[in-house]
Amino acid sequence: MKKKIEIVAFKCKKCGKLHFPFHDRCLACKSREFDQVAPQGNAKLITFSQIFNLPWGFDNRFLFVGVAEFENGVKAMGQIAANAPEELKLGMTLKPTWDVVRVISGENVYGLKFEPM
Amino acid sequence: MRPVAIVGAGMIPFGRRDDDNLMDMLAYASLNALDDAGLGDKGVNAVYVANMGAGMLNHQMSVASALVDRLSLQPAAAESIENGPASGGSAIKNGLLAVASGYYDLVLVVGGEKMRDVSGWRATDFVASMTHPTAEYIYGITLPGMAGMFTRLYMQKYGVTREHLVQVAIKNQEMGALNPYAHVESRITHEGIVDSWHSRVNNPPVADPLRLYDVCPVSDGAAAVILAPLDLAKQFKKTPIVIAGFGQATDTHSLQEREDPTDLKAVTLAAQQAFEMAKMKPSDIHVAELHDAFTILEIAESEHVGFFKKGEGAKALEQGKTKFGGQIPINVSGGLKARGHPVGATGVAQVVDIVWQLRHELPKDRQVQNAVNGLTVNFGGFGNNVLSFVLRRGEK
Amino acid sequence: MPIDLELESVLRPPEVPMVPYPPKVVTLANGKQMVVREITREDVPRVLEAVRPITTYERDYYDIVASRVYAELLGWYRWRIVNEFVLIAQIDGMLVGLVNSRMLNAKTGMSLHTLTTDRGLRIGSHMFAAKMEHHIEYLKQEEVLIVAESPIGFRRWMIEYGLEPTNIPHELGGALSFRLSKELYFATKDRLVVGDRPVPKELLDKAMEDIIVVDEKTVAQKICGVKGR
Ligand SMILES: [Zn+2]
Repeated sequence: MKKKIEIVAFKCKKCGKLHFPFHDRCLACKSREFDQVAPQGNAKLITFSQIFNLPWGFDNRFLFVGVAEFENGVKAMGQIAANAPEELKLGMTLKPTWDVVRVISGENVYGLKFEPM
Repeated sequence: MRPVAIVGAGMIPFGRRDDDNLMDMLAYASLNALDDAGLGDKGVNAVYVANMGAGMLNHQMSVASALVDRLSLQPAAAESIENGPASGGSAIKNGLLAVASGYYDLVLVVGGEKMRDVSGWRATDFVASMTHPTAEYIYGITLPGMAGMFTRLYMQKYGVTREHLVQVAIKNQEMGALNPYAHVESRITHEGIVDSWHSRVNNPPVADPLRLYDVCPVSDGAAAVILAPLDLAKQFKKTPIVIAGFGQATDTHSLQEREDPTDLKAVTLAAQQAFEMAKMKPSDIHVAELHDAFTILEIAESEHVGFFKKGEGAKALEQGKTKFGGQIPINVSGGLKARGHPVGATGVAQVVDIVWQLRHELPKDRQVQNAVNGLTVNFGGFGNNVLSFVLRRGEK
Repeated sequence: MPIDLELESVLRPPEVPMVPYPPKVVTLANGKQMVVREITREDVPRVLEAVRPITTYERDYYDIVASRVYAELLGWYRWRIVNEFVLIAQIDGMLVGLVNSRMLNAKTGMSLHTLTTDRGLRIGSHMFAAKMEHHIEYLKQEEVLIVAESPIGFRRWMIEYGLEPTNIPHELGGALSFRLSKELYFATKDRLVVGDRPVPKELLDKAMEDIIVVDEKTVAQKICGVKGR
């Protein structure tokens, strides 16, 4: 089931700086007023790592986690669907999805999952 | 502000210390420092305890009050300081300010962590709890994972290679093997972790492109120092080591919000502040302990503190400039990589190692000849809270 | 002790003939050469000397593992356990690890224990892999059933090999077994099983000459951690 991507970024009303995650004051001008901005379009891979030795709560051997930039400039971390680092290239386009990324205290936690295109 | 000196320093061997709990380790390291200062049966005015995780790892809070009781230091003022893996540096800074202000004359600063009470995956989760709870932690990111993402960018931008990382690991384990306080006792060879096809089992990926031997171990351990005003320091038996400068800076919580994620601004700022206060420059430093929780960090920090230009740290490493006997020996103790990384203890342990260097009391195979000035960098989170100290050998 | 030979022949279980494990040599991270080889019954008393002190270390279930290994080795030595094999790891003759296991029948292997007396060099991983290698590649078995006393060891094997859960109670205390099938073994072999054959004569001779047992104090420190103020 496809789900809507629920993260939202914050654009400073005064200087236009885009923030994710939330800050109570703008990183640049310290203003406190923000417009909410939904990430748009696909995302470009900025960096990633294939992580082994995962923390408590994961039973898989590894996970790919990376940071990507959406078409409207929102940058966010997410899991990446991949099996080997060779499948990924910095700068490549990823399709964002919203899916279960972790189970914490028996509850599903949703987050960004990127799929290489 | 009056000048402050370290008049006592102590450590206990790092590693898995199954027989000791956190309080034991804090007490042993403190006693070593008190004895080193010749304060065996005397008191101090205040106690600062650096510890990151007693609440989560050992189910114990208010460890500073408990330590005062163990050491019968009442009615000394006491508090615990939690600032992630930079807790040690933070505690020293707070002790330093307390003495420099003239308010206290004798301060005990001790850092310790008991990490091996929990399984490796619990310890990994504990450390990962430093990351942003909703924007990072939920994805299963670990600190090695953060370092892996950073390494990938650093390699791309500055041409650092796997081979450079391997050189850091071999160098630091080589030195660690000489250090009786180090967690990791064995040397590693290029053949064993790279050349032999057996290395795929010996040195598997941990957070690509980082492998097992790029990452510091999870350790138990504690270290302590005694601070006093420099004008009182002459009454103590050991050569005083002056805290000539310190710096501390913060940066964004999430890596992706940094304009250039390969730029560790907090490291640069902390070191600049420390140098400025000490009226020194990077070339005045004879020995440094940098926060090599991951091999890449030793290279990156060596550039950010100003020993080398950006992008030239790897070349300096290749040329042997950072090894024992080189132009600026880095992590002669073995660093976090070999000494180990009991998170709350590290910032204090780095300073203890530099104190020993500047007092010239280490065995020949680890003593940097005529070292007068030393530098430490204690790196919290993934570079979002960093402390740096410049130490100088004082007059006896 | 006089033995009633007729009764003894009843008590001694019949054995399936087992092909020997060809020794191999592994280069460790520290550059040292570790010989992995199968031992014979005659070697058991020597190996027991190394296992005995470990039966008292509570850390990471070492006491249970070592006590059971002790009994399993003794059982093999005195003909009370069937189709068992024991592989040891030696560096310069020094015993640094052992694994034991047995054939339940021609098709199925029953993995017993992995015990190392040195930590931080992935000797346990190399030895567990050697045990699986013997079951699948040399004894030509279809599957190996696995459990572990220590959660650390177990989680490592389960995640590294992607073991499959089963409803088959394991001989070690009756917990449900996890299975390494032949297919899983070959799917993970590239990543987990290493070693060179044949072992150079000099190295093998040194290993065969004597099984050197590390002194108790050193082993205690390796397993229970450092001491000292
Ligand atoms: Zn703004």
